[in-house]
Amino acid sequence: MQIKENKQGEVLILTISEHLDSATAAVFESRLLGLVDRGERKIVVDCGSLEYVNSAGLKVFLLAAKRLEPLGGKLVLCALAPSVLMIFEMIGFTRIMKIVPSLDDALKALGGEAAPA
Amino acid sequence: MHEGSITVRLPADLREIERLNRLIRQFGELHEVPSRALYAVNLALDEVVTNIVRHGFEDPKDQEVIAQVIAKPTEVITEVSDSGRAFDPLAIPPPNLDAPLAERTLGGLGIHLVRSLMDGVDYRRADGKNVLTMRKRIR
Repeated sequence: MQIKENKQGEVLILTISEHLDSATAAVFESRLLGLVDRGERKIVVDCGSLEYVNSAGLKVFLLAAKRLEPLGGKLVLCALAPSVLMIFEMIGFTRIMKIVPSLDDALKALGGEAAPA
Repeated sequence: MHEGSITVRLPADLREIERLNRLIRQFGELHEVPSRALYAVNLALDEVVTNIVRHGFEDPKDQEVIAQVIAKPTEVITEVSDSGRAFDPLAIPPPNLDAPLAERTLGGLGIHLVRSLMDGVDYRRADGKNVLTMRKRIR
């Protein structure tokens, strides 16, 4: 798994790729929760290049969303491949997390930079 | 889809799961298992084996997990066995999918995925082993 970080205004964008599984979840967890700890409140995880996620990876998203909520922050996920989105639906995360089709939608959802017309 | 089977014996170590996934993917492609079914089998197997490695043994050193995948004309059968402590994953209560975010808990997600991805899951304890059998129909 690769993790890239990019700040756009108030929004922190994490781009993750390949496999988020038992072998890589711990690295992603410390990175994502570390961002929350250092004060980031608007976080987008761009899953456009994510090919595979298992429950170890799903738990990281749940942990981060749960930690951000009482702080008035928000986690938005975008660009999930159909096979990955199916897993989020199965586990009921589409009901408790903001999941949108594109990065533009994610930025809009967080009131960040508007998408180009 | 071509009939056939593969048996993988792997050390009880999380680092082995990537290798298992790779072998099952290769087996699936060779036997022309439809990609959706192969994805489901791989993820279910990942969840089950991860659980066994994490929680099944007092000391996972020198322990192993045996995974068998059988491709049949209408279904894929996956059987996982281990000699760890008796544990029926189907006894884990399902997560409450209707709970609000603050009340969602981390437990039970993996086995919920397994149940959702498969068409049938059975557990038995036999000869001092846990045996979990999962069936995925090919549509």
